[in-house]
Amino acid sequence: MIPMTMRVDVRSEGRKGARLFFPVILLWIVVAALLAAALPFVLVAALFTLRRGPGVRLLLFYPAFIAAVFALSGLRVDIASHGEKKVFISFD
Amino acid sequence: MGEETKKILEMLHDGKIDVEEAEKLLAAVSSTGASAAEPLTGTGAKRYLRVQVEPDQGTEGDRVNVRVPMKLIRAGLKLAAFLPREAQTQVNSALQEKGMNVDLSKITPEDLEELVANLDDLTVNVEGKQKVRIYSE
Repeated sequence: MIPMTMRVDVRSEGRKGARLFFPVILLWIVVAALLAAALPFVLVAALFTLRRGPGVRLLLFYPAFIAAVFALSGLRVDIASHGEKKVFISFD
Repeated sequence: MGEETKKILEMLHDGKIDVEEAEKLLAAVSSTGASAAEPLTGTGAKRYLRVQVEPDQGTEGDRVNVRVPMKLIRAGLKLAAFLPREAQTQVNSALQEKGMNVDLSKITPEDLEELVANLDDLTVNVEGKQKVRIYSE
């Protein structure tokens, strides 16, 4: 499942923290549009560089990148610095 | 045999890539696409790698709690295969400067699976100040 939201929670001791819910699905739409727009150029570049080697890498990058984006779901990072800041980031 | 596999083998035959690179690209080809949405089956399947850093009792320090999906680690390893060789060399030399004699380019998804399968609960004490716990769940 592709991550839909990113939650960022930053808190400092004795201060009001900042909490952000970012709908990363919007970012993925933009990224998908950019990838789609770049695809013809990538295909041409891949075609030209196929004999020298990097062409296949260029083509395989797309599915590998998409797999990485899908795998982001469930990532959680929680860091609490003693007496200072507390940062929490999660992709759901 | 898929078209991409054929091309990789041709490149290997022509000497455009070495055996290591071909192995990585073949691994990426065989598992991309299916891996992203692939459900983990079996009761023993571990879904997350957990890294916890806690200060030792009576000491003060930072606390870190990271949960990384296994799928992300696998996908990251596959993405690493697309790094240019020059970049991989730089990463390895930077690691060596820090005292880590590890060649990341040689870590394959199979190595990772083996590592994860044997990783139940590892606890490391860092200079008696911090406790690092790495486990899969």
